[in-house]
Amino acid sequence: MASVDAKSSPKSRPALATTYEGDDIALLERIVPLIDVIEISPDAIARSDAKRACLRPEVLDEYAAVAKSVEFIAHGIGLSIGSFDRWEEGYLHLLDGLFERFDLEWHSEHLACTVVAGENVGTMFPLPRTEEVLDLVCGRIRLLQERYRVPFLLEHVIHLLPDAPAEFTPAGFLNAITSRTGCGLVLDAYNLECDAFNQGLDIMAFLDELDLGPVRELHLAGGVQHNGFHLDIHSGRTRDRTLVLAREIVKRAPGLRVVTFEFLKEAIMLLGHDSICDELTRIRQTIK
Amino acid sequence: MIRLELYQRGLLDLVKKRCVAPEDPYLRRVAESRALVVVREIAVWWRVFQIEAQCRFTSRLLKHLRCFHEVVTSYFNSNRTSPFVEELSRDFLGSLRTHDLLLIRTIAQFEYAFVEVRAGCTEGFEIEWDRHPDLVFQALDNGNELPAPEPECVYRMRIARELPGMVACSREAVVPGDSQTE
Repeated sequence: MASVDAKSSPKSRPALATTYEGDDIALLERIVPLIDVIEISPDAIARSDAKRACLRPEVLDEYAAVAKSVEFIAHGIGLSIGSFDRWEEGYLHLLDGLFERFDLEWHSEHLACTVVAGENVGTMFPLPRTEEVLDLVCGRIRLLQERYRVPFLLEHVIHLLPDAPAEFTPAGFLNAITSRTGCGLVLDAYNLECDAFNQGLDIMAFLDELDLGPVRELHLAGGVQHNGFHLDIHSGRTRDRTLVLAREIVKRAPGLRVVTFEFLKEAIMLLGHDSICDELTRIRQTIK
Repeated sequence: MIRLELYQRGLLDLVKKRCVAPEDPYLRRVAESRALVVVREIAVWWRVFQIEAQCRFTSRLLKHLRCFHEVVTSYFNSNRTSPFVEELSRDFLGSLRTHDLLLIRTIAQFEYAFVEVRAGCTEGFEIEWDRHPDLVFQALDNGNELPAPEPECVYRMRIARELPGMVACSREAVVPGDSQTE
């Protein structure tokens, strides 16, 4: 079973990663010298042909062209690991294709549900922190660990809707998952800030309670405020306060290996290549 | 504790506006929350973004007619939507085949056919316009007033892979009881 411990080799400073979803060679050429790792979202580089999704070969070729300069990790959106009935086999088909083509250091998913009874919900539902969900998610993590033989990481998602009745605290639930399965964690600094703003999460108390040993990756992003809520739409540069939090997490998470700046493909026009490159340089300085 | 199935089915129904007064106390709290409005907006916002990018002319026409957001929201609430933009676009355009306005039906058919043929479909499509298609596209591109219908003729557009530029169009005069290509 591929637990995070098996590959844990803490480095003096984490590597820098960013998202890249294809179709912008000029951007790829500019970011590759600035980063160590590309985070690939299989869902974002897939197209659906005759009701079956497959990875776009032209985008895979773009990654292959820079494979000597960077490493790759995968970060999914559509597995729906927490659906009450079944997860999305179609996502695993995409992930299989990615593993066939590239050596991935690890793969990760959101601790969430995107499909209910076969219907895409159009967003991500967080999962209630209950024993029922713990059993369900841990069982599925074990299947993933057996299937891919590289570490699997889970990322906490933001909570906009009122919190469901729970048997665990937010950190306690993640601790229970990592201790039962040996899986790793992706911490998202901006998601924590959203939860602090929207739900009153005490971030420092959360970090104090969380077992930070399994944290392998840290996500950074910028979002927007809308109708009184902070939204985790990866459309902007990272706020200074997010970087302050990032520095704290880097200091406290002994096994942290990668810090990833996430931005939506749709936000590239808004941000511009220069701004993305500046942001990567700024984050590199921050995590030194 | 709320059971996972009840929780997820309940949230889905609330997001899709299929349920207004759930019995479960937690779901009732969600139904009354401000956050539910925002979650619905986000879910529709993603569909809007994808449809705008993939169904360019249909989106422009719907915006021109000031009903784009309403049509996408209604589509999202009433249908299973694919996370894949190709399927979403096809299904959305397909859903407009029964729209009340002829021009919306026509543009959606045109865009559907174009998407299909560009994706490799070997079938040909024929679309009948009640006004000059180029003038419609120009109006949508420039934000000008749409051309009026031309009751004395129809524009018969063919979309197929083997055609130069994949499109051909002819104007046909409407003669009661007969038709004649000009």
